[in-house]
Amino acid sequence: MATVRKAHGGTALTDLLRSPNLPVLLIAASMVVGLAALLPLVQSSDATTRAGTVHQLEQEKTDWEARLRELELDVATLGSLNRIEQEATKRLKMGPPKEVHYISVDLAPPAERKLPSRFLPSSHEQKNAGSSLWEDAFGWLPLP
Amino acid sequence: MSKTAAGGVTWRLWTIVAVIGIGTLVITGRLAQLQIIDHQQYAAEARLTHVSQETLSDRRGALLDRNGYPLSGSEDTFDVMVERKAWEDRTAAEDAAKKISDITRVPADKLISNVAGTDVFEVAAAKALNFQQATAVRDLGLRGVRLLSSSHRVYPEGNLAAQLLGFVGKDNVGLTGLEADLDAILGGAKGSVTFERDGLGNQLALGDRQEVPAQPGANIVLTLDRYIQRLAETELDKAVKEHKASGGTIIVIQPKTGEILAMASRPTFDLTNLDLSDDSKVALYRNRAITDMYEPGSVFKLVTAATALDLKLVNPDTWWYDSGVVNLGGWSIHNWDFSANGSQTVTQILSKSLNTGAAWLAQQAGAQNFYTYVDRFGFGKPTGIGLAGEAPGRVRTPDNDPEGWQPVDLATNSFGQAISVTPLQMATALATIANNGLAMKPHVVKEIVSPLGAQSVQPEAGEQVISAEASQTLRHIMGVVVDGIPKAYLDVQGYKVGGKTGTANIATENGGYKPGAYISSFVGVAPLEDPVLAILVKIDEPQDVPWGTVVAAPAFGRIVQQALAYMKVPPTEPALVSEVQ
Repeated sequence: MATVRKAHGGTALTDLLRSPNLPVLLIAASMVVGLAALLPLVQSSDATTRAGTVHQLEQEKTDWEARLRELELDVATLGSLNRIEQEATKRLKMGPPKEVHYISVDLAPPAERKLPSRFLPSSHEQKNAGSSLWEDAFGWLPLP
Repeated sequence: MSKTAAGGVTWRLWTIVAVIGIGTLVITGRLAQLQIIDHQQYAAEARLTHVSQETLSDRRGALLDRNGYPLSGSEDTFDVMVERKAWEDRTAAEDAAKKISDITRVPADKLISNVAGTDVFEVAAAKALNFQQATAVRDLGLRGVRLLSSSHRVYPEGNLAAQLLGFVGKDNVGLTGLEADLDAILGGAKGSVTFERDGLGNQLALGDRQEVPAQPGANIVLTLDRYIQRLAETELDKAVKEHKASGGTIIVIQPKTGEILAMASRPTFDLTNLDLSDDSKVALYRNRAITDMYEPGSVFKLVTAATALDLKLVNPDTWWYDSGVVNLGGWSIHNWDFSANGSQTVTQILSKSLNTGAAWLAQQAGAQNFYTYVDRFGFGKPTGIGLAGEAPGRVRTPDNDPEGWQPVDLATNSFGQAISVTPLQMATALATIANNGLAMKPHVVKEIVSPLGAQSVQPEAGEQVISAEASQTLRHIMGVVVDGIPKAYLDVQGYKVGGKTGTANIATENGGYKPGAYISSFVGVAPLEDPVLAILVKIDEPQDVPWGTVVAAPAFGRIVQQALAYMKVPPTEPALVSEVQ
């Protein structure tokens, strides 16, 4: 009895096609393909959510800055000479001095009032004005 | 039969094919029209609907006084922008307008009419909302309604230094004063943003967006001191009211640096409640301290005396005989009171304010020398303070007007007539005398603070106009002048001060003088030994008395008294009541 079987191409494919597990495999493959197709959607959704969050945070930052400026002006208005005079005369019942006494004190005069820090360049902005980490790291290269 | 049937089938088939073919051609043609031929139009409409472009402006810089107190700053405001199409439905519009009206207090009808009365895509229904209002409107989430940020100028010190500061227009561009002169620095750089938006008008999170960020404006620190400025304005108002004057000017300068501590003029305008539609108020906006020229009168005798003293032609005790009249080229010059005083010293020429004596001093110097000193003191040319609209004044000399100038002009110029100066020029000349003869360029900007750093404006020394010795001698004479003023008009406790009064006629355009109208002025320095203040007080057309002694000197005295104490300048020893070791 001959023991030699005729070999023919695509044995694995033929076996697969004849396999009783073929439907399961096809369903599994379909699910993998389907899930893979969802990936860009998930990625896009995530990016959208993050962009929305960034936008919202930017809006909050803008709101806080606006609020900060409003409060700065409130401070300035409360410190105005008109209000100081009004508080002094009406609430504290103060009036112009009738007599002025000069007293010589053996002390250095008070330092000149400095500009409030809110009007000075911020340290954060000054830092940004300098070179970046990447510029420092690759500064030695002969790049333009 | 079969042939007929076959022919019928063929006919019907071709009919269907033809209909489908024609239909396809029509659709294809329409698509070609929409997408190729009319592409530009529809693309533009789509952009108009979905893409928005805005100009970005960062915060306009503040104008601060020398100690950092804001005189002018910006507050963020918000405009409610409404898409016209979103409010085409009357019911929806009324509903949305009612909600916005509850927050903004703008009547709903007005909001609707603001939107309906336009043919543009989007319009501002309500403007200048504050932060809380804007947040509340945004939280409503109304369709086709969004907020556009803007800003408006606020003045924490009210109308202080209104003409010097100036104001901005609705587009936040400076129109007058420092706001206009320094607009490029204060305004920063404009930016722009282009973005896609959704049906509510909000920016799409993943839409196209191109942004060129705006740069914030720099804060500008002025040399003004809000306390001294307010003091000057209060005293100016008091003098104008008391003497029913038409206006006036007060300038306070720090002689050693040329820094302007105060610059006030009247009449003025309400900076906090501007009405730019009223043309009659335009004249109020100009800074009279630098734009208006006047004949200074007797205060100019200081320049004449400085010339003669610096040339060492005279000293304070040099004698001269006053016959009461000086005749020149057919003109007779008299003293203000038509007096003849006999033998007088140079000091008395100034303390009695003798016109004949001033004419004699000018003649001693000669026209060439006199006008050289007038020029060196800064008359006849702008001071270079850096403010737009500064007038140069008018000095007629033998060189610049050889045909018009006459010898009598030298005499009249010597006591401040037939010569036009600005208040700032006169104050600057006074500061030069106070600063041992060294002229300092007047300036109002002390420091510019931008996000990238601060830049200081250094005092700029000019010419040594007269010697320190001549300056000290002249200041001594100015002290004698003040000693001769009754205490009721000028009495500064604890400090010795010097000055000179002036009462001048007001020139008219036809070459004469306005009858019965005068300018009363006083220029002075304090403390006399080492001046830290040089002050000009000029009151226009007082109705009761014309004399500078009565009208202007009291304001000078009150300003000096309070300003020196505020500046912590120690009084002279006799004024001290105790010493603490």
